[in-house]
Amino acid sequence: MAPRTLEQILEGRRSQPNQLIEVLQDIQADYGYLPKEAIQTVSQALGVPLIDVYSVASFYKAFRLKPSGKHVLTMCMGTACHVRGSRLLLDQATGQLGIAPGEVTDDGLFSIEYVNCLGACALGPIIAENGSYFHHMTPPKLRKLVERLRRQQTEEYQNVQAQ
Amino acid sequence: MPQYVELSIDGATVRAIKGTTVLDTALEYGICIPHLCHVSYLSDIGACRLCIVEHVVNGRSNVTTSCTLNVQDGMVILTNTDRIRRLRHNLAELLVAQAPNSRAIQDIALRCGVTEVRYPFRNEDCVLCGRCVRVCAEVWKARAKGFVGRGKDRRVDYPFGVRPDFCKQCGSCIELCPMTITPCDGPMKPGEERLCGQCESQLIIADQTPGSCVWCKLGEGFGCARYAA
Amino acid sequence: MSRLNSFRELEHLRQQLTKQRQSIATTVMVCGGTGCQASRSQEVVRAVRDELSRQGLNDQVRVCVTGCHGFCEQGPVMLIEPGNIFYCHVSADDAFEIVYQTVMNGEVVERLLYQDPVSGKTCRTQAEIPFYRAQERRILSQNRMVDACSIEDYIAVGGYSALTEVLRGMSPEEVVNEIRSAGLRGRGGGGFPTGRKWTECREAPGDEKYVICNADEGDPGAYMDRCVLEGNPHLVLEGMMIGAWAVGAQKGYVYVRNEYPLAVKHSDIAVQQARELGLLGENILGSCFSFDVEIARGGGAFVCGESTALMASLEGKVGEPRPKDVHTAVDGLYHKPTTLNNVETWANVPSIVLNGSSWFASKGSNGSKGTKILALTGRIKNTGLVEVAMGTPISEVVFDIGGGAVDGSPVKAVQIGGPSGGCLPVDKFDLPIDFDVLSEAGSMVGSGGMVVMDEESCMVDVAKYFLSFLQDESCGKCVPCRLGIDRMLEIITDITEGRGRPEQLDLLEELANTVSQTAMCGLGKTAPNPVVSTLRHFRWEYEAHIKEKRCPAGVCKALITYWIDPDKCTGCGVCLQACAHQAITGAKKEPHVIDVQRCQKCGICRSECRFDAIQVV
Repeated sequence: MAPRTLEQILEGRRSQPNQLIEVLQDIQADYGYLPKEAIQTVSQALGVPLIDVYSVASFYKAFRLKPSGKHVLTMCMGTACHVRGSRLLLDQATGQLGIAPGEVTDDGLFSIEYVNCLGACALGPIIAENGSYFHHMTPPKLRKLVERLRRQQTEEYQNVQAQ
Repeated sequence: MPQYVELSIDGATVRAIKGTTVLDTALEYGICIPHLCHVSYLSDIGACRLCIVEHVVNGRSNVTTSCTLNVQDGMVILTNTDRIRRLRHNLAELLVAQAPNSRAIQDIALRCGVTEVRYPFRNEDCVLCGRCVRVCAEVWKARAKGFVGRGKDRRVDYPFGVRPDFCKQCGSCIELCPMTITPCDGPMKPGEERLCGQCESQLIIADQTPGSCVWCKLGEGFGCARYAA
Repeated sequence: MSRLNSFRELEHLRQQLTKQRQSIATTVMVCGGTGCQASRSQEVVRAVRDELSRQGLNDQVRVCVTGCHGFCEQGPVMLIEPGNIFYCHVSADDAFEIVYQTVMNGEVVERLLYQDPVSGKTCRTQAEIPFYRAQERRILSQNRMVDACSIEDYIAVGGYSALTEVLRGMSPEEVVNEIRSAGLRGRGGGGFPTGRKWTECREAPGDEKYVICNADEGDPGAYMDRCVLEGNPHLVLEGMMIGAWAVGAQKGYVYVRNEYPLAVKHSDIAVQQARELGLLGENILGSCFSFDVEIARGGGAFVCGESTALMASLEGKVGEPRPKDVHTAVDGLYHKPTTLNNVETWANVPSIVLNGSSWFASKGSNGSKGTKILALTGRIKNTGLVEVAMGTPISEVVFDIGGGAVDGSPVKAVQIGGPSGGCLPVDKFDLPIDFDVLSEAGSMVGSGGMVVMDEESCMVDVAKYFLSFLQDESCGKCVPCRLGIDRMLEIITDITEGRGRPEQLDLLEELANTVSQTAMCGLGKTAPNPVVSTLRHFRWEYEAHIKEKRCPAGVCKALITYWIDPDKCTGCGVCLQACAHQAITGAKKEPHVIDVQRCQKCGICRSECRFDAIQVV
């Protein structure tokens, strides 16, 4: 689905400061992050001072000010997952990919995020990747998942090249 | 015609205009309540928590910040109980351990009875009192800077980290900032982190008269609202 | 469907829908909650529907995608009525057998039935399963015959009849009194008497009022609200409508946390369906009551579960709490009187109206009436969502429902109430799930998250975990929370890394005391609870870390070493392969050795070893 334009997202919401978070969420959903120009436009359109928009964008975890990787590995660090070893998964991910949470790998393929609870606690440890949930994860399973996603990417690339 | 209410602070009955805060009232009556984020002409946010007092309701004491508590008829307030003094001491200790290299912060700590600091010293240059943010928004209406980030990563910054061209360069933010004056003994050197206690007389005053304003040097140091008034 | 303009029309619709459902011989309910979806329950639904079409049974059999059944460990879960047949771990491949054997021939598929690990008995029906037997599922059972996205299902089982009763024959004061007599207390964590809150809001001056549903459930390990909202959104909406009538509100918001996309989706659908039928909007069912609801999404901030922070977020601002010297019931959203209640609190309202306050109060203890939904997770056999009467002892929940410890490692403690709550040791498990009793014991019911820990959990590490969580989620505005939590974490980290000193425990306690008294909001005020409760009940663990530089549970990395027992090691080489840090050396069939310098204590080798040869010392 093609991302909506800023115009479309702002429609019906102009001059309504209380719509700020909803607007930013729509931009985040369609663009994967909040571009600087978008933040400036939203500030003018909704009538919210620029610093306040920037403040909101930096306060909430849902918003990223920089683009994320193609595959975002969201690791659940909730209590139930924690007692089942989610810390080990985070170590595995950061070790295997060489990046810290919030960062993107050089090839733009992966980024790691962590959330403080995804709400599927009986199935922990949980990792979400672009909407799919992987449950009862272990470091070896994670290693294989990353390798599989990498392989998929190489295949896609090769298919595109072949055309 | 302003409406007046009568309330009791530390056992004394005082009169105050309805709509004012307990802190403003206390300061006017010469009662010393240490404060940091409070500036008389700016809004109160209750962030530093130093101005806490005991608000006695139905026999129970609620610890609450006096800068956000509006005066009410018949209210009973205690500003200098042992409990409050200990709490203030601990809060001031946290502040000075975080940002010792400021005369204002050291002065507040001394006024609150801190003599030794039980945490490793850090060297932050901002205690997030928010004075700069509020003066920029409320007095100059420029809104050039604000709070950004959350929790441990909360900081004061410009949008996108760059000073915008609508900043009026008034300098008020710098003027109000408690971090701009170095301690009398100079900046702290690593390995020599300690609370400056050079003003012995001030320490004695702080110890002997914790509840009343004596126009002490310490108040001058941290920009006490009584001096500004 | 056309708009309902009177109570009679609603009743007529209800009768029509009930009649339609009478011709249905069998209902197959598949759990569509997030948990079971992660186990691919949607494929099961598709497969069953396909099979039913193939057999031409679409008129006689209904497939209902319901909300969570609670037994998440056994998902995907399926319930078949009549017969109360309960299947677990269902996959798409089972569809044919289920349809042919059970639906068409009334016989069970043995291998899909639940087998109780304690008694060894195979359970045919849901009612027989020990996990369910000990529960009192007043709210969760309302999930059953209702497809989460179907307002017709909800109406067919009696939905919106409480609203009808209220609008038809009860004044707002009467509604408030009913909630007061019932003794309902907030289910989100505060436990504040709901009737009192509604009274305060009702009596507050002003014509513009709001009701809010707090679905920001941020406690890690808690997902009760998610399930109720995902599975039965109309139940919550109906509760809100009744509440709005009672306090005099015209507009309501459901604030759902960002991490619950399915709950957002289902709430949205529910609101639209309600609007279509005229159950939301102007002159509902022909009465003088007008009310509408909007769904708002959180931005990813635990602190927004705090009422003033939530309201700030609704107003489009950062979720920073503000001082609550005046209750939000009087000065809330946009400074107007606002009644904010948790999802589960709202979900209780319709049944209180329909069955009466005495019915509600017939279950529960003296100070805590009704039932409570708990998210039971951690190191026990049966994890999932359970609902019990208030006053039920913790031991019953952990052992009778939870099935006791997994792996034979004995249960050591339970953390109740999330990061604001506290840990209770196993010898306190006779305490009941009760707001006041648990508070006194140093814990709290909180939102209902219960995480069970065993001997392999280090309580100091648990306190550290919660402090890190809260440090991450703190808004950062006030000194005690921002700096206090930081310093508490610094001390506890020192302790877990072998640098602890005895005087630090006293400082930790003093600091905890200061933070809890001076912080501005609930997050800060309750942040010290995990530290205080573990210090109170597990002080010996702290002391072992400090005096002996030892972690009894074998968790704190700086204080443990991984060691291969040469007597048990067969030299199979599996650990060598698995080690991500090349810390293991050894020849084939020879005992292997761990290089402690390179070992990162990640535990992978230990989990891979089939001979139990790797130990933590």
